[in-house]
Amino acid sequence: MKGEAELKVVNLRKWFPVRRGIVSTLLSRKTEYVKAVDGVSFEVRKGEVFGLAGESGCGKTTTGKTVLRLLEPTGGEIYFEGRDITALNKAEMKQMRRKMQIIYQDPYQSLNPRMTVFDIISEPINVHRLSDSPAETEEIVHKSLEDVELIPAEDFVFRFPHELSGGQRQRVAVARTIILQPSFIVADEPISMLDVSIRAGILKVMLQTKEAQDITYIFITHDLAYARHICHRGAIMYLGKIVELASMDNLVNNPLHPYTIALMMAVPVPDPTLGKARAVISGEVPTPINPPSGCRFHPRCSKATDICSRQEPELVEVSGGHFVACHHAH
Amino acid sequence: MTILEVQDLKTYYSTLKGDVKAVDGVRLQMEKGESLGLVGESGCGKTTLALAIMRLLPWNGRIVGGKILLNDVDIVGLDEAIFDKDYRWKRMAYVFQGAMNALNPVFKVGDQIAEAITIHEDVAKREALDRARELFSLVGIDPGRITSYPHELSGGMKQRAMIAMALACNPDFIIADEPTTALDVIVQAQTLEVINELQKKLGITMMLITHDLSVVAQTCTTCAIMYAGNLVEYADIDTTFSDPVHPYTQALISAFPSIKEDRRELISISGVPPNLLNPPTGCRFNPRCPHRMDICTKEKPEYLEIGDRHFAACHLLTNGG
Ligand SMILES: Nc1ncnc2c1ncn2[C@@H]1O[C@H](COP(=O)(O)OP(=O)(O)OP(=O)(O)O)[C@@H](O)[C@H]1O
Ligand SMILES: Nc1ncnc2c1ncn2[C@@H]1O[C@H](COP(=O)(O)OP(=O)(O)OP(=O)(O)O)[C@@H](O)[C@H]1O
Ligand SMILES: [Mg+2]
Ligand SMILES: [Mg+2]
Repeated sequence: MKGEAELKVVNLRKWFPVRRGIVSTLLSRKTEYVKAVDGVSFEVRKGEVFGLAGESGCGKTTTGKTVLRLLEPTGGEIYFEGRDITALNKAEMKQMRRKMQIIYQDPYQSLNPRMTVFDIISEPINVHRLSDSPAETEEIVHKSLEDVELIPAEDFVFRFPHELSGGQRQRVAVARTIILQPSFIVADEPISMLDVSIRAGILKVMLQTKEAQDITYIFITHDLAYARHICHRGAIMYLGKIVELASMDNLVNNPLHPYTIALMMAVPVPDPTLGKARAVISGEVPTPINPPSGCRFHPRCSKATDICSRQEPELVEVSGGHFVACHHAH
Repeated sequence: MTILEVQDLKTYYSTLKGDVKAVDGVRLQMEKGESLGLVGESGCGKTTLALAIMRLLPWNGRIVGGKILLNDVDIVGLDEAIFDKDYRWKRMAYVFQGAMNALNPVFKVGDQIAEAITIHEDVAKREALDRARELFSLVGIDPGRITSYPHELSGGMKQRAMIAMALACNPDFIIADEPTTALDVIVQAQTLEVINELQKKLGITMMLITHDLSVVAQTCTTCAIMYAGNLVEYADIDTTFSDPVHPYTQALISAFPSIKEDRRELISISGVPPNLLNPPTGCRFNPRCPHRMDICTKEKPEYLEIGDRHFAACHLLTNGG
C-alpha cells in the first residue's frame, strides 16, 4: 500500500572510531570518532523511490549500509515493515536480508571475477533455497536475465564478469538482487560509474521491476539531476545530518535550507540559454571528526547568526511533508 | 585568427591484439579565444587527442597520420628539443585527467610551480615564487598557501593549483582534461567560475574535455562531439543544443537529465560504444543508430561543413533520410 512506511529510521547514528597513532594511545587521549551518520530520522514509504543526496563524505553510503545492518548502528532505531530490526539476531537478520538488498556503485568490484553469470545469479537462490531442482534454478536465472534485458539469456550465462561491459555487469548485479524478490533495495550510486548513454537503460530495468514487484528504493546519489527524474521524495545530507527532506519537486523548486539552495544553484544545466550554475557559498565541506558546533553548516552560511553556532537546529516540518533543519528557514 | 588546426589526425596504440584506433581522422580548427568543449563517452579518444596535441603519448601510442598546426606550424614533425623548449608548457599547456592527485606529496605546492617556471624560463627561484603567488590569487587560492603541502589542500584547491601550474609559463592555449569530474557540485561550480574568469581576463584559448554536456553548456562557446575516435559534430554552443543534426548528438542530449526540467523518463541509447581495435565499418555509430540506412554500414560519412562553422558526419545529411 502506498503511503505506508516500509522503513522508518529514528535518530540513527553510526560513528567510526578514528585510528590513533601510538603516541596518543600512550597519552591515553579520548577516542575520537568520525560521526559519519549522527542522528538521522526519516521514513521511506512503500513503493516509492527515496533519494539520499549530498556531497562526498556526508554519510549517504553509511546510512544506506546501516539501515540494512551491513554496518551495526551506534545508536537509533530501524523499523522495517513495522519491526525494529536492530533487535534481530543473526539468524533472524539473515531471513530479513532476503527482503532487504543493496546494489553497489561499482559493478567491477561487486561481482566475483571467478564466477560465471549463472553462478553469480544462482548463488542467492541456493543460499535461500528458492528452487527445488536444477531445472527450476535454470529457469529462474534465465527469467531474471531477461528481466534486466540481457537477451538472449543463453548468450550471457556462461560469461565471466570480465567478458561483460560495465553496463552489462551492472545489469547482472541488478538481476542477482531482484531474484530474491526483495521488497526494499538500497541502490548506492548504481549508475555513477557508467556512461551517460547507458545509464537510463539500467535505471529502466531497476524501475520496471520496481513496478512489477512493488519494490521500495533508497536511491543514493550525488547527482541531483538524476535524483530529480528518479526519486519521489528525498533528503539532503550535510556532515552526517539531514538538513532538508521533502518531495523532489519541493527540493528542486522550493528549497528552504541555505545549503540546499546553494546545491541547487551549483548544478549545471545542459542548456546554454539558461543561467549559469553558480557557487554561492565558498569553501568545502569540513571533516566530520570535529564538526562545527550548533548548526554544522553555520561557518559557510550567509544567514548565520549567534544562535546557529550555539544550538543545533531540529529537523521540523514547515509545511505538509517538507522538513528543514535551519534556525532561519521558517 | 586560427590558433590550432588539426587535419585528419590519426593516433593509434599498438597492443598485442592489434592497433587501437583511438583517434582516427579528426579534423578541428580553433580560433583565438575560443572555449571548446570536447565531449564524448569513456574511451572515445578525448585524452588521446589531447596527448597527441601535447606530444605526450605513452610509448605504445603514435601519430600515424595527419597534421597538427599551432599558429600555422606543424608540430607533428617538429624536433623534440625545439618542441620542448618553445612549445610544450610555454605556448600550450595541459591539465592532466586526474591531475589533482599528480602533485608530488613531498614538496610544497609553491615550490612545484616555481620549478615548472625555472625549468622553462631563465628566472631566479625567488621571482618564480612571486609568480606562483600571483597565479594562486588568479585561481582564487590565498597566495599564502604556496607553502602548503598537497595533503593540506582540499580537492578543489588541488585542482586549482594544477590549473595555476598549467598557467605558469603564460601559454595561450590550454587543454583541461576532465578538470571537475572528481569534484562535488559546489566545488565544481567554483572551479568553473575560476576557469571562466581566467578566460575573460587572459583571453586564453581553451579545450575543455568532459563527458558532461551540462558543464560544456555552461562554460564553452563551441562544442565538438566525439564518438569512437571520430568527431561526429562541431558547432557553436547554442546550435549544439538547439539544432543538433547528428543522431548521436541528439541521443546524447536526450539521455542527459536536467534539473530544470519536470520529471521525465530518461532515454537511453541502445548498445554500447564499439571496441576501437575493430570498430564497425562505415559510420561507427551505425550499430546503435535509430536512423541506420544501408550506406551507413558500408561507407564512412564525410565530415562536412553544413552551416557556418557547423560540421557533421552523417549520411542523412547527404542521402536524405
Ligand atoms: N569504515 C569507515 N571507517 C572510518 N570512517 C569511515 C568509514 N566509512 C566511512 N567513513 C567516513 O564517514 C564519512 C561518511 O562516509 P560515506 O561513505 O558514508 O559518505 P558518502 O556520502 O557515501 O560519500 P561519497 O559520495 O563519497 O560516496 C566520511 O567522512 C568517511 O570518510
Ligand atoms: N596506452 C594505451 N594502450 C592501448 N590502448 C589505449 C591506451 N590508452 C588508451 N587506450 C585506448 O584508447 C581508447 C581511447 O582512450 P582515451 O583515454 O583517449 O579515451 P577518453 O575519451 O579520454 O576516455 P575517458 O572519458 O574514459 O577518459 C580507449 O579504447 C582506450 O582503452
Ligand atoms: Mg558513498
Ligand atoms: Mg580521458
